[in-house]
Amino acid sequence: MLEILFIGLSLGSILLLVALGLAITYGAMGVINMAHGEMVMIGAYVTVLSGIWLGANIFVAIPLAFVVTALIGLLIERVVVRRLYGRLLDTLLATWGIAILIQQAVRLEFGLSFLGIHIQGLGPGLQNVSVPAVLQGTLFVGSVEINRYRTFIILVTAVLTAATWFIMHRTAIGMQVRAIIRNPKMAAACGIDVARVNALTFAFGSGLAGIAGVMMSGFKTVFPDMGTSMVVDGFMVVVMGGVGSLLGSVFSAGILGEINGVVAAGTNDILARAVVFGIVILIIILKPKGLFALKGR
Amino acid sequence: MTVKRRFEIVVYLAFVVLIMCAPLVLDPFWLNRIAKYLVFGMLGIAVALSWGYAGILNLGQGLFFGAGAYMLAMSLKLASATSLQQGSDKPVPDFMLWNAEPGAPTQLCCINKASFLWLPFQHQWFGVAMGLVLPVAIATIIGTIVFRKRIAGVFVSIITLALVLLVRLVVIDAQPITNGFNGLTDLGWFRIADFEFDPYIVQTYYLVAGALAVVLAGARLLIETRAGLILQAIRDDQNRARYLGFNVPLYQTFFFAVSAGIAGLAGMFYVIVSEFASPTFMDLAFSITMVVWAAVGGRSSILGACIGAIIINMISATVSETQGFAEAWKAIIGLIFVLVVLYLPRGLAGIAHDLIDRFIARHSPASRLSVSATDASQPAE
Repeated sequence: MLEILFIGLSLGSILLLVALGLAITYGAMGVINMAHGEMVMIGAYVTVLSGIWLGANIFVAIPLAFVVTALIGLLIERVVVRRLYGRLLDTLLATWGIAILIQQAVRLEFGLSFLGIHIQGLGPGLQNVSVPAVLQGTLFVGSVEINRYRTFIILVTAVLTAATWFIMHRTAIGMQVRAIIRNPKMAAACGIDVARVNALTFAFGSGLAGIAGVMMSGFKTVFPDMGTSMVVDGFMVVVMGGVGSLLGSVFSAGILGEINGVVAAGTNDILARAVVFGIVILIIILKPKGLFALKGR
Repeated sequence: MTVKRRFEIVVYLAFVVLIMCAPLVLDPFWLNRIAKYLVFGMLGIAVALSWGYAGILNLGQGLFFGAGAYMLAMSLKLASATSLQQGSDKPVPDFMLWNAEPGAPTQLCCINKASFLWLPFQHQWFGVAMGLVLPVAIATIIGTIVFRKRIAGVFVSIITLALVLLVRLVVIDAQPITNGFNGLTDLGWFRIADFEFDPYIVQTYYLVAGALAVVLAGARLLIETRAGLILQAIRDDQNRARYLGFNVPLYQTFFFAVSAGIAGLAGMFYVIVSEFASPTFMDLAFSITMVVWAAVGGRSSILGACIGAIIINMISATVSETQGFAEAWKAIIGLIFVLVVLYLPRGLAGIAHDLIDRFIARHSPASRLSVSATDASQPAE
């Protein structure tokens, strides 16, 4: 049973990793970023490419993926999202368009395949990343068998969540973000440069997704379509937890991860996912503002 | 307004005449394809009704499409000649026979634990009725719960999105009765009395085109009724409508259910022309794609959304057959979508309306007043 709970915890931390970025962009900016899953995908591809080109392992890929996806996020914010603030559903649709664009760009190797140039590692095929020896195999804690890579994911998630919490609650920029979450107009009136903070928030959220992608590449196949299901899962976590509440995201990711793990152990993965969707629907119906809703928005 | 209205009637009629005349110039292969696009046009109408007019962005329209498709497909599966040739005297779907446990009776009643659910589908018209009833019933239940709780905007979208994915997984998981990932293939033909609608004959095309014309006219008339006007008032300002004493959830649920019914109908026609039903109908991507069609065509125009769906599918079929563009086309769709959201929130229909307005303004000074009253946000057709 402890093994199952541990697997649930690791599933939850992956969910959280994906949801963290979504939670701050949706909470702070009122932007539903459907291209968030593609940031995860790009993060995973950064791991693949840095392995092929640089011979680098997963540890090197983490900062690399963060930088790459944060820059792409910044670009998306500058070019598209910036014009859509205040139009929530339109951001959803526009970023879905961006998601398709990015997926196809990777599949077409940035369009270079038209010119006959082939980039190793990209394209429509599947890719696998080998995990460093340190992270392979299992540990024994007492009689409980613990997968090392899962432990690593949980640790990374914990560190990133703590870092996000620290930035949000202990730094000047974090305070500005929180002010914008509470009331964007008032924040602007108080002299906060909302456009700049939004751009940084979006870039940071995308960067987190990139790191999630690195983690994902260690135990899942990497392919251009991998992002779509992640953004859905991440979004479920955010909505269930309560928009703008970091704590809510942590809790709901944990709950959904455990439910997923336990149901999957009892039945199968497909049914477990179905149960998770069902529970999210129920919770939105019962508590439309989420489990940990912020007051006074 | 009268000039404008006459204009619209002419445009609607022109569209219907156009689709009715298609068989004069097209061969059966193309007719079958166009029939599929017309089905997608019907989906465009469903999206426009719920998104453009009711303000409900349903990201799970595929659920209703899929429900309609599966219900009819179950009936047509049992009508398929090949499933009769599997060693049973009564029609039993072939995949059930392949997966049957040794010694299980080859009867629908009990070949597996849930196969009895297929029994009523031996009558084709039960499948047809269910194809309409099931989407409408699901939509009514969801609508009643969701709109009563005053859940709105993005949360409705999330619920519908989660629901379609939930149902998709359940359908895949229920392999013994739904054939899981593979869906229902090898279907028989739809029949009315003794006439069989082979997907590649002109009568089938007319069946679909006629249905589209009826749905188009019906949806257009519906939004002009009192209920339709109240619905648009609700979309523009829910609280104002509530203060005025309208039963807001009732109107929203009604139009949500109508939209679901149209999507279910489209699902059935899709099964008739393409001879399969598959869980891909309930993919997230497909549901969002429908929204894209409506957005490009113009979400607040019934005909616009319909034409948007048809045009995008036509272009995409043509382009994706061009060597080298098969994959690039999807990227182009993504780009078009971003551009439409950014620069053309009212879609192609928006451009058309502006052109018509300008034309009217130039040619009849008397109507200038009414033209200036049609501002950008008003979805006047």
